[in-house]
Amino acid sequence: MFEQFWIPTVTDLTRFAPELTLVATLVALLVAPLIMGRSAKTAGWIALLGTAATILATLRVGGSVHAEGISGLARPAAAGMLILDNLTVYFKIVLMLFLAGVTILWFIGSAEKEQHGEEFFVLLVGSALGMVLMTATLNLLMIVIAIELASLPSYAIVAFNKRNRTAAEASLKYVIFGGVSAAIMLYGVSLLYGLYHTLNVADIAARAVVHLNTGHNSAIICIALFCFFAGVAFKIAAVPFHFWCPDAFEGAQIEVTTWLSVSSKAAALVLLLRIVDAFSAATAAHSMVIQITVLSGLAWGLGIIAAVTCTWGNFAAYRQQNVKRMLAYSSIAHAGYMLMAAAIFVHPNAPADHSPIAAVLVYLLIYAFMNLGAFGIVAMVQWKTGGETVDAFNGLGRRAPWIAVPMVFCLVSLVGLPPFAGFIAKVWLLLALGEAGNTLCWTLIVVAVFNTLVSLFFYFRIVKAMFLVDDGRDAFTPPIAGTALVNVCGLILILFGVIFINQPRDIAKRYAANLFTPAVLKPHDRRATATSTTPPDLASMRTELADGSK
Amino acid sequence: MADIGLMHYLMLAAALFCCGIFVMMTKRNAIGILIGVELVLNSVNINFIAFDRYRLIHGLDGQIAALFVILLAAAEAAVAVAICMNLYKNLNTIDVDRGDALHG
Repeated sequence: MFEQFWIPTVTDLTRFAPELTLVATLVALLVAPLIMGRSAKTAGWIALLGTAATILATLRVGGSVHAEGISGLARPAAAGMLILDNLTVYFKIVLMLFLAGVTILWFIGSAEKEQHGEEFFVLLVGSALGMVLMTATLNLLMIVIAIELASLPSYAIVAFNKRNRTAAEASLKYVIFGGVSAAIMLYGVSLLYGLYHTLNVADIAARAVVHLNTGHNSAIICIALFCFFAGVAFKIAAVPFHFWCPDAFEGAQIEVTTWLSVSSKAAALVLLLRIVDAFSAATAAHSMVIQITVLSGLAWGLGIIAAVTCTWGNFAAYRQQNVKRMLAYSSIAHAGYMLMAAAIFVHPNAPADHSPIAAVLVYLLIYAFMNLGAFGIVAMVQWKTGGETVDAFNGLGRRAPWIAVPMVFCLVSLVGLPPFAGFIAKVWLLLALGEAGNTLCWTLIVVAVFNTLVSLFFYFRIVKAMFLVDDGRDAFTPPIAGTALVNVCGLILILFGVIFINQPRDIAKRYAANLFTPAVLKPHDRRATATSTTPPDLASMRTELADGSK
Repeated sequence: MADIGLMHYLMLAAALFCCGIFVMMTKRNAIGILIGVELVLNSVNINFIAFDRYRLIHGLDGQIAALFVILLAAAEAAVAVAICMNLYKNLNTIDVDRGDALHG
């Protein structure tokens, strides 16, 4: 009777070695205290080793992806349940490098006084696993589970310091917003399931575009898609689902803020790109008329949200005194820039070579380094002086020049000015927008340039405090390892901004190509399968065989 | 009296969804908001099961989805209630708008 169950082969499973390695790391983190006794540092080393092993496994799998092309782990009828393609490989490597960076930051600042290192890393690695799964699926149920797997540990880890009142308040706001948006998202998923009797995004997209064009059920489809988008937008922290972001970032321990600022947004953006890709692939099969009406509707929707998100983030950051909170709003703004690329990608005139996706991938990579550097320096200032407001940076250029200079690099890079990598990332993004060259894209370019100008003011408030304001605070020596870490980040930003300008983009282009697209069942195939229980091709083969035997 | 069909279940689920959203928007108490979330999740389950029962092509996707939703609801409630307890220990309240350390 087991023939009717689908069981993965060993080859299938080895393709998902990175995910399995992460799971093994989680198990090791839970079991190690039983064998070796509780020690925060051991937990940190296990997490770091697990991350390194995941990167190695990903590189190994990545080689075979390049050689053999794309694949998925599911029975053929449920394609897209768990996907392995270039995009997932790229994302896993970037995410794991960033996780390693966050772990090193933890070693520098918190390892000595941490009492619950095991729990901390179980939550951290657990959310990383959720984010990896978020980017590797096109099944609605799997998307929901992955988002929850990424969210639930994040809620808990924000409140990790139990005696901290701000942390308690921040995590309550985070969990309430998260719970509400997840529930609304699930309602959207249930409506989509009811409309199309499938949980496969590619199948749904194929029929939704036709319905959206003819107006059949279009109101309910729009409601369902909007509900679904609420859940994804919550993870990206796109306006109007951004309220949790500044609170959670300010209340959480600084390593956690660093982690959430890049990873949760990155995972949700890649997920959004995948869904958007399914929709534009679905319209490609239809006539020009359908393409233009449906896609430009989606593109304008996403584009408006992107423009509002980055404008809101930059203007709100302007008023902040707390640097963590300022960087939280800046991360909202950066998510807005990246959303712009998703908006053009879906547009009917979008360039065919996936250059918007490549632009987002480059942006994510460089953004990870900028944030690791900037948050690392804020962390060191906080550990040494106890302050995280702009005042705490007064005279930092004299007090601790070795961290003040990389801070300038990171901040200028976050603004997006030459000669740093942030500029290059923004240029590729604007070029991708310009290539599409329609009204929406030109509007978005204007918005992005205007926002860069606005962001200049609040990032330079910190630069001004560091070099122009000096109220005679004591000099201090930051931890050597931390200084090295942030200087490496600064150096990478210069190298990517001056010498290796094209390399990240070439790599990203290679990884953005060949997105996984599951074969979509045509509606008439589905009807045929509904009436006869065997698939049509099998049935015709059988009749042929029967004819032959006669 | 007409037979009970798909539409009746969908209306029930939609009503439950609206109740849940109303509870979330009006309650100040964190536990109250979580109850609203549970109401919405239950409406999702009714939707999934009803669509699965009344669809033409039989499969188990909807029922499996409902099982997972129950599981997610339980996991989320566990984390959320733990966080509420933590807030109560620190602030002696679980009113969401009494926490005022973070704003701006």
